[in-house]
Amino acid sequence: MNSLNNSELDSIKTDLFKNYKVSGYDEALNENSKVRLSYKKFLNWFKDQEYSDLSKKHLDANKLFKITGITFNVYGNKQDREKLIPFDMVPRIISAKEWQKVEKGVSQRIRAINSFLNDIYHSQEIIKSNILPLELVYNNPAFLFQMIGFRPPNNIYNHISGIDLIKTKGSEFFVLEDNVRVPSGISYMMKNRDIMINLFPELFSKLSIKNSKLYPLNLSKMLKKSSSSNKKNPVVAILTPGVNNSAFFEHSYLADQMGVELVEGIDLSVIKGYLAMRTIDGWKNIDVLYRRIDDEYIDPLWFKEDSLLGVPGLMDVYRKGNITIANAPGTGIADDKAIYSYVPEMIKFYLGEQPILKNIETYRCSDSQSLKYVIGNIKELVVKEVHGSGGYGMLIGPFATSNEINSFKKKILANPKKYIAQPTLSLSTCPIFTKTGLVPRHVDLRPFALLSKDEVYVTPGGLTRVALKKGSLVVNSSQGGGTKDTWVIDS
Amino acid sequence: MLGNTADSIFWMFRYLERAEHASRLIETGFQLFLTSKENIKSEWKSILKTSGSENYYYQNNEQIDSITVIKFILKEPSNPNNILTLLEKARNNAKKSRVSLTKEVWEATNSCWLDMNQMLKKNIYDKDVQNILFQLREKIALIIGYLNNTMLRNEILYFSYLGTYIERFDNTARILDVRHFLFLPNTMIRNDIIGETQWEAILRSLSAYRAYMWQNQNELSAINISNFLLFDEKMPRSLKFSLDQILNYIKLLKKNKVKDSVSFNLGLSIQSKLVSRKKNYNYDFGLHNYLDRLIKSNIKLGNLIEEEFNFHR
Repeated sequence: MNSLNNSELDSIKTDLFKNYKVSGYDEALNENSKVRLSYKKFLNWFKDQEYSDLSKKHLDANKLFKITGITFNVYGNKQDREKLIPFDMVPRIISAKEWQKVEKGVSQRIRAINSFLNDIYHSQEIIKSNILPLELVYNNPAFLFQMIGFRPPNNIYNHISGIDLIKTKGSEFFVLEDNVRVPSGISYMMKNRDIMINLFPELFSKLSIKNSKLYPLNLSKMLKKSSSSNKKNPVVAILTPGVNNSAFFEHSYLADQMGVELVEGIDLSVIKGYLAMRTIDGWKNIDVLYRRIDDEYIDPLWFKEDSLLGVPGLMDVYRKGNITIANAPGTGIADDKAIYSYVPEMIKFYLGEQPILKNIETYRCSDSQSLKYVIGNIKELVVKEVHGSGGYGMLIGPFATSNEINSFKKKILANPKKYIAQPTLSLSTCPIFTKTGLVPRHVDLRPFALLSKDEVYVTPGGLTRVALKKGSLVVNSSQGGGTKDTWVIDS
Repeated sequence: MLGNTADSIFWMFRYLERAEHASRLIETGFQLFLTSKENIKSEWKSILKTSGSENYYYQNNEQIDSITVIKFILKEPSNPNNILTLLEKARNNAKKSRVSLTKEVWEATNSCWLDMNQMLKKNIYDKDVQNILFQLREKIALIIGYLNNTMLRNEILYFSYLGTYIERFDNTARILDVRHFLFLPNTMIRNDIIGETQWEAILRSLSAYRAYMWQNQNELSAINISNFLLFDEKMPRSLKFSLDQILNYIKLLKKNKVKDSVSFNLGLSIQSKLVSRKKNYNYDFGLHNYLDRLIKSNIKLGNLIEEEFNFHR
């Protein structure tokens, strides 16, 4: 495809970008409002499309999502429980060169996290070396004393990770958050690709877009490899909390794609020291359990005793080495928001390497200096609960009312260890499709990574979440965010 | 295959079959409503009785009125077996065992539910009924079509057929049972309720009118109709056909262990009960008792299948 000369670029801009006002870093336009190299081929094609056709395709796309049943459940809303995550059809495009760095950085980070988990449940060198304070670990509910001294199969804890990345002022990606408990969103990444191929096959034949659909294959390979059994073909199952869980669609999608059973607690029982599922021909043993429920629910004998989601005795099977649980119980300690701030140190400590991806500057309120700073500058900061997730329990200083700020200040002072703060970041923007043309909206990126004993697989691209409201920085689906396809292309 | 999955597949298809059956009941009633108004009330009463929802109807309605009955069967929340609820139950079972269904079967099921919801949400008038029923049956046919053409020939498919035929056996038996008086000896039938229209209605509500007429030289007679619906081996809604299918799929599931299968053995005994009537057929006293026993045995068979294949803990 010919690259665009300047006059063509200007014509793209007048038509498509007439309502587009760049402030901060934009993925499609540079600081002089010129189209970036990575977007040129796409926009060159895009400008030749009839806008009415595109509008129709946009509707089609959201209809397709509804028919395929790609929904998530909203808790506490009885009327309309199943919601669609709004889909935007303008892809987020990352150049292959830029991606290389992300891939290496993510891989490095999850290896360091796994080393940390091995360490923290065994000799705790990182604490002995005074890098990480003991109380940060021991006072953390995600740290499972039951896991101390236990070696999971192949020494792997975080088999599956999702690392949240953002750009702020410049082109560099920063790590916002690590998700190593039960990261979700992968099904949207794959479905977004399906829908894009369905809507615009011509783009996929013309451009060389990296294939993001190999994830289930790699997941299945990794899970089988993680088994400690000698079976040639270990039995894998996905454990879901059930059809009413917000991510049920994803659980069934992954089971479908991998060709494994999707099980619930009621299907399972411990039989003769093994975990077994109830089939039409009787009980059948499971070797690898990819659980999509939190630690505290997996075994009522060991954790929450009223949990009906898990299996009584599962942890005993695990401790006997008769099953692999992915991710390993106790992994959650590593994605705690306070522990997060130590990951760069972990990379140096365990791998002897310099971090490839940087962290966002983070103030730990447990530290009295930082606490003072946070209280004094709360209007400019984002304050997060250390154990919160999904965008709940956070304060965005610049957008908060003085009432909200005062009540949050009280909460922080009452229990400073529970909070961290970060500067208010202007996330980078990306074009989204609207009736009146393209407009910029804030995005983040969640690549997924799979760790097995001999390799790390990082999805090319990942899930791009986008805040659909003008100026909004909250991309979480539970708070009205949408998603778009993510392309890694050779430009 | 998980017992739990077998459970949801089995019931998904029971609900779909039940919904389709209910749509055929409405269609039959609606045809009578358009063509012969004399007996329409007793016909709607029979229909409500067949679908087992007569009591629920009278909780909120004093009178039988065609469009009220139709709405009641289609979507009235006070009717636990309204078509919309049945479709929702089928769809939720499909969602639960989404992994076991092909993309085609799942999407057809999901669309059926989404579209019918949309359509039935509006107020319904006489002029809409035919289109609604047509759409509904086409959408269900699409699910069944995809089931037949895209699914592997394995246990999952067998359980979907088991659900279908257990339900169908029940539905056909009930249609006959509710109108068993139509099969009494001629001398005992009150002239005002008999009519060829009623026999025709029975056949039509089982989509069997043309098939019957083909086989019986366009002649309606009590004995031929009951033989056709009870014993015909080629008629896909007869009791004999449904039971043969049930036995066949249990056999495929149990393979060489079929002789020890409790559900298979109960199926065999229902079969001999069913055909015994064919041999010593001395006109139609006792049709009601006979059908009643068959319906109860079939319910038991459904329960035994659930037990034998570990549907529940």
